[in-house]
Amino acid sequence: MLARRDFIVRGAVGGACLLTFTLAGCETRLTPARARAAEVPFRTLAAADVATVDALGETLLPGSSTAGLAHYIDHQLSGDPADSMLMIKYLGVAAPFTEFYRSGLRATNAASQSLHGRPFAHCSPEQAAALLSQMAGGHVEGWQSPPSGLFYFVLRSDAVDVVYGTKAGFEQLGVPYMAHIEPPSRWGE
Amino acid sequence: MQAPSSLPRDPVDVIVVGSGAAGSNMAARLAEGGKRVLILEAGPARTPAHLISSTLYARRVKWTGPPVLDEGKNPVGFVFNAAFGTGGAAMHHYAVWPRLHAEDFDMRSRHDRGLDWPLKYSDLAPYYDQVQQEAGIRGDATREIWRPPGAPYPMPPVPVFPQGTAIARGFAKLGKTVAPLPLAVTTTHYHGRAQCLWDGWCDSGCPIGALANPLTIHLPRAAAAGAQLVNDAAITKVLTSDDGTRAVGVEVALKDGTRQTILAKVVVLAAFTVENPRLLLASATGRHPQGLGNSGGFLGRYIMTHAAGLVYGLFAEETRPYMGAFGGQLVNQDSYPKTTHRGSGAFGSYQWMIAQAVKPNDLLGIATTRPDIFGAALHDFMKRATRGFAGMTAVCEDLPVSDNRVTLSSQQDVHGVPIARVTHDTHAESVSLWKASLSEGKEVMRAAGADEVWTGPPGSMHIMGGTVMGTSSTNSVTNSYGQLHDIPNLVVAGPGLFPTSGGVNPTFTVHALAARSAERLLATWPQVVG
Repeated sequence: MLARRDFIVRGAVGGACLLTFTLAGCETRLTPARARAAEVPFRTLAAADVATVDALGETLLPGSSTAGLAHYIDHQLSGDPADSMLMIKYLGVAAPFTEFYRSGLRATNAASQSLHGRPFAHCSPEQAAALLSQMAGGHVEGWQSPPSGLFYFVLRSDAVDVVYGTKAGFEQLGVPYMAHIEPPSRWGE
Repeated sequence: MQAPSSLPRDPVDVIVVGSGAAGSNMAARLAEGGKRVLILEAGPARTPAHLISSTLYARRVKWTGPPVLDEGKNPVGFVFNAAFGTGGAAMHHYAVWPRLHAEDFDMRSRHDRGLDWPLKYSDLAPYYDQVQQEAGIRGDATREIWRPPGAPYPMPPVPVFPQGTAIARGFAKLGKTVAPLPLAVTTTHYHGRAQCLWDGWCDSGCPIGALANPLTIHLPRAAAAGAQLVNDAAITKVLTSDDGTRAVGVEVALKDGTRQTILAKVVVLAAFTVENPRLLLASATGRHPQGLGNSGGFLGRYIMTHAAGLVYGLFAEETRPYMGAFGGQLVNQDSYPKTTHRGSGAFGSYQWMIAQAVKPNDLLGIATTRPDIFGAALHDFMKRATRGFAGMTAVCEDLPVSDNRVTLSSQQDVHGVPIARVTHDTHAESVSLWKASLSEGKEVMRAAGADEVWTGPPGSMHIMGGTVMGTSSTNSVTNSYGQLHDIPNLVVAGPGLFPTSGGVNPTFTVHALAARSAERLLATWPQVVG
């Protein structure tokens, strides 16, 4: 075992290690928020997917889209599932998880079209909230797989992870982080 | 840790499959007993430096091995409860180490429910005492009025933080008792280990040696005694003699796709509750057509998992819910007698783990306790809950059901071994027990003065059974030492041996059983190896 001081020192030395995004052909270490601000190209999510994720994020937890929710999900889906940090790992869904997200986003838009006559990203805040309430309860007429309640839970968890699951997120809430080994990125800075 | 290329070419005394709580304990004791021990770990090498303090990074150390089909009305939650790599699931366990009670060992005889163990509490008590001294448990044996006989804890209990004080008030108002939670976490510098800072990062794995995980306790001992640990070495088959009476070694699949046979006098399977029966089923031969150790048809059966009775409260006072250990601060076992809640159709035991440290996010985090809230209201909830949140969890006994079992799927892993399907439907009396725990928990929170009280779904904690011990192959897979009735030099270790789950966390009992098994193997070595 090592002393706690050693870990803190090691963490500080390795503190520049952020998520790796490819920007202008170069691998760059960025937080998801900065990846969004820099308009880093997506590798797995299509443009329409991103718009839906952003709209879901803003409805589930305002601020999560600017915190880089779509880039975070895209980054995690684009890597080795063994290294995934997505909550979905815990929820009985077999890796890889890309089809789960794509199917869920398709089902969200289909339900939105059926309920409100428009894609989810074009819904008013009230319309979006109404659909999410139905999804949370698992009662969306005509909903296709995955289960709406599970998809709601996963996206909500991702949004919470990006906003509050980081050292910066802890600080927003006044929670002391007290790390033994600092995570390599203060996401949300 | 060594690379697969370091696999020995010549026979060893003991192969231990898996490096978690049971495997590391057995390996240390057998190596210290003079045996040449090889630990084969299917997962990657993990060191304390991998245990990053982050709920997000913690997900990387959970199970990423062969897929497990997690099915039934009440799935066991395999990925969250398991891990892949050095230290196994114990690497990120919460170190809540209560003992089973005497009535857990003969439940069939006393209550006509479940199964009897082939040993009694008094048989295991000396090993609980032995392990608690070497691992270090903090607590107060006197205040644990429910505790079965045993040596006092070697360390004083943890101080109670405001979350614990708030909930304890509710128990006291209802005339119930709380005591310090027995935790295998250091409150003082113990055997050279650092003391806990009560930072609540246990689920991410404790890298400073305060929590008694295998990286801190038994793997260093095993290495010091000469045991060799090889990572990324997946067992594809346990090999047996032509007459089927002896294990002779294992077949290992390496990362480069090659396979190697390693011979041993004794094979210990300590690959956790699902992988152990999977390997035994997948190692079927002409002599053992239904799998090794399955002559009685019990292999894979009686899978159990504790239903979590999750109860939360929001207080006006500041509770600092992020302080403490992930497992909690206090314990109550008033509901341990099996028939406590018979009036509500329940059977079994439960204990409360009180005032568990929480983080804002993650499966057990603050946000997840109210999944119905979203939008601006979620931000508001997070701010209020960070200030005044409190929670406690009932560890609810799961009655053993024969049809709750591990079987082989038609799907195969990358090495061509069938993957496991785990089916689990909670017994009706266990469901009633879980409901009874929620009723009691809400009453406690209200008595404590919580402004809001709510409950969570029946999450799955711990996985047990599947290779249960008993008196013969007519009722079980192994004897009380984990030796297969059919193949005595093939030994199972871990919570898979449990014939009943009890209402407490299993890791302390896993260690006590492993210590007893290792002692037996060393004492009877000539007979065991033939």
